[in-house]
Amino acid sequence: MDDVHSAIAEKRRLAEAKARQEAVLAAIGEGVVVVSDKGEVMFINEQALSMLQMGSEDLIGKHLISAIEILDKDNRPVSGDAHPMHQALIRGQRFTTTELKFKRADGENFPVSITASPVFLQGALIGGVLVFRDITREKEVDRMKTEFISLASHQLRTPLSAMKWFAEMLLSGDSGELTEEQKGMINNIYISNERMIELVNSLLNISRIESGRIIIEPKPTRLEELVREVLLELQPKITEKKHKVTVSISSNLPKINIDQKLIRHVYMNLLTNAIKYTPDAGEIFVIISKNETQLVSQVADNGYGIPANQQDKIFQKFFRADNISKVETDGTGLGLYLVKAIVEASGGQIWFKSQEGKGTSFWFSLPLSGSKPKTGEVSINS
Amino acid sequence: MIIEDEVILLQAIEKKLRNVGFETVSFTKATDALRYFEDGGEKPAAIWLDYYLEDDIDGIAFMQKLNEKEELSGIPVIVVSNSASQEKVNAMVALGVKKYLLKAENRIEDIAATLHQVLNPQYGQQQ
Repeated sequence: MDDVHSAIAEKRRLAEAKARQEAVLAAIGEGVVVVSDKGEVMFINEQALSMLQMGSEDLIGKHLISAIEILDKDNRPVSGDAHPMHQALIRGQRFTTTELKFKRADGENFPVSITASPVFLQGALIGGVLVFRDITREKEVDRMKTEFISLASHQLRTPLSAMKWFAEMLLSGDSGELTEEQKGMINNIYISNERMIELVNSLLNISRIESGRIIIEPKPTRLEELVREVLLELQPKITEKKHKVTVSISSNLPKINIDQKLIRHVYMNLLTNAIKYTPDAGEIFVIISKNETQLVSQVADNGYGIPANQQDKIFQKFFRADNISKVETDGTGLGLYLVKAIVEASGGQIWFKSQEGKGTSFWFSLPLSGSKPKTGEVSINS
Repeated sequence: MIIEDEVILLQAIEKKLRNVGFETVSFTKATDALRYFEDGGEKPAAIWLDYYLEDDIDGIAFMQKLNEKEELSGIPVIVVSNSASQEKVNAMVALGVKKYLLKAENRIEDIAATLHQVLNPQYGQQQ
């Protein structure tokens, strides 16, 4: 009898524990969907149902991928393979994104932050859990921030142009000769103003790429030609610093479909950095090679290098390494952030190796299949 | 002819262009410049045009109006603007604009030289 009693008690205890867990899941502010290892919906909480405007009967037992339609940020349907839950189940890894949208039952969509995680029991994959929340408000704030930067930057350009032109005219004697000391002072104003123009341009470029308004217009391009053009433009600076530049490009590299303005900006930035952050009479290499799927460009120098403890911050907005911010006061800390954004928008990756006092190498890849074209409103540096 | 709504910039442009040998007539509104033509004002050798003009028509509308009059449509125009989206530049070039330059990216001396070059393609090459 005792056995029967304890079995009943155990069953009750388990039922209570299950109910408690479900109550916890139901009470969570985020939407929660639990799926089986086949991707069928086993549980969905109230919050998820209310965000999706669906009933649990619309979803329970159905395949998650077909039951809830997912769109990318340009409102194109996301294929099953690219579904976060599919990724999590296939790879057995947690997958997080804030770039997707869910379609509600009424056909409207909303941006979501999604975390899809595989669930393991004693080492075996038994299913997955998808947690999401509506980020309409965050996206809106982000859009407003970008719009503000764009508006403010445009407003700044008029007074910056006035300062530029008047300082220039004073320096070229348009209102009479200046003393050497006066020239020096006005020149300092001119140079500082140029830095401010540069900063505004960088902020504008970043707001363009972050807002997704940038145009990507791929055209068949020889990277070598692009590099040579950029080097020609930078020649005065190279000569001034007495650097030796070696270009080594594999023969017979194919043309590649890329946005020339954007990739030109990448070379321009990496080479300007190499020139600036290498002491006089340094050595700079540009190497372009091909692997099975990509063209890989390398820009290397034997310059100041990036301190090891700051290397993880190098692509962050406004970050400048300690060792160079003292040597070269000029610089916004926005260049590499933008370069990374451009390379990634072009379908490539960027990485680097650096040793303080020895030099730095940056590599970036571009897919041989080319960058995907993107319609937009603005181009870089405009 | 200079059309620029920012008075301070207009002062700089007038001063520079006069110093490099141009005579200038200036407007802060494109509609005023069009009225000047209607009233029989002298046809300029070239026009320096800002794209966005406060409380006024924009560069595209100005070029369209200019192109409507045969005697005015041949005047070389260079646009010197605060922003240059590809779309805007293409539209303006299609309407006959010779050059589209960004204010903050160009020295005023270089823009003046561009103006000389537009009027006389050999300008600067003899030196």
